[in-house]
Amino acid sequence: MSNQNQTHFGFKTVDESEKAKKVGEVFHSVARKYDLMNDVMSAGLHRTWKRFAVEVSGVKAGDKVLDVAGGSGDLSRLFNKKVGPTGQVILTDINASMLAVGRDRLIDDGASVPALQCDAEKLPFPDHYFDCVIVAFGLRNMTHKDKALAEMQRVLKVGGRLLVLEFSQVWKPLAPLYDAYSFKLLPFMGKLFAKDADSYQYLAESIRMHPDQETLRQMMLDAGLAKVDYYNLAAGVVALHKGWKA
Amino acid sequence: MFKPLLTRILNHLITQNSWARGELQPFSGQTVAIYLGPAKANLTVLENGGLAMAGESAIDDASISLSPSLALRILAKDAAASSQVQITGNTELAKSLAKVLQGMRWDYEEDLSKIIGDIPATQANAFAKKTYSEAKSKVINVTEMLTEYWQEENPLIAKKRHVEAFVKDVDQLRDDVERLEKRIEKLKHALI
Repeated sequence: MSNQNQTHFGFKTVDESEKAKKVGEVFHSVARKYDLMNDVMSAGLHRTWKRFAVEVSGVKAGDKVLDVAGGSGDLSRLFNKKVGPTGQVILTDINASMLAVGRDRLIDDGASVPALQCDAEKLPFPDHYFDCVIVAFGLRNMTHKDKALAEMQRVLKVGGRLLVLEFSQVWKPLAPLYDAYSFKLLPFMGKLFAKDADSYQYLAESIRMHPDQETLRQMMLDAGLAKVDYYNLAAGVVALHKGWKA
Repeated sequence: MFKPLLTRILNHLITQNSWARGELQPFSGQTVAIYLGPAKANLTVLENGGLAMAGESAIDDASISLSPSLALRILAKDAAASSQVQITGNTELAKSLAKVLQGMRWDYEEDLSKIIGDIPATQANAFAKKTYSEAKSKVINVTEMLTEYWQEENPLIAKKRHVEAFVKDVDQLRDDVERLEKRIEKLKHALI
């Protein structure tokens, strides 16, 4: 960025102060049909990726888990089963509409999971509190990714894990096909199923602007994590990064 | 592509073999590379004592190397085969993982019971065990019959005692030749 107070919003460049508002508008618009669209866009694979993230987290009964930008709450629901009655899961999101969807679903599911509206760059939790922090498909929408990662690292206990599940750089030979899907088919499906092509155009653009696997790995190390490993899923369409705090 | 599936299977097996978590938990976060002939798999120990396929940037803390034939011998419970497995790096970690992988059993009756119910699963398991046992004894019978035919009626295979006698004769001959060589050497020195 040439100007320090500007950032990406998809392919556009906007003032940092505007990004959170614009992202908020996108997610307010898609909140009700977010999971339906995820199913349509990923052919249901997002559920497999999230289950994989829960498996790889190593979370056990009694652990404390923070689900950052957890929106519709599907990961919180899975983690809640893992930690059992002796553990604790907290769902957070900056967007009230998304959080309301997640909170209501968890209540309907009979899960006692606190839902908290907060900014991932200023987490209202003490240091060394959680065994695991996860952010799934949320990091790319954050204005200052480095600050958010540092905050997530701060609230982790020593030996705790930070998991970042996010769209990433696809295997090169598949890139033309993936581009056609993202920029032609995705906004069309957004229009068809969610009546909102612009929001899905933003989602496609924001995926391209997100750091690739190695860059994100380095960002996590810079945020203070001692070791970071990552998994490419679906040929790199999505990557799961796992970092350990020492 | 198969990492989520393989990780799911591994953790399902670990859940069925709860003793394995205790073995692995002290090594959480560490990675072992398993070389089976030309194939390689990297496994990471999880914080809950589970196992996952390792990621793209994982660094191996230990490695286990074995040939496919050795793997078959281990599967056939050949006790001598385990000592021939090559281990490098953190040997405690590699040994614990090898112990877990060797000792894990799939409780398929339990899994089947979740789909078709307890009683049909037990009956299906009993039927499968009986079928396997009968098939095994039939294969053994046919093998023994063919062995006997090729040893007695139409000799193609040597009998064990004949092979042992032959090996003993070869050893005897080798020793005799060595002794003869020494004597010739001695005579040569005496003539010079």
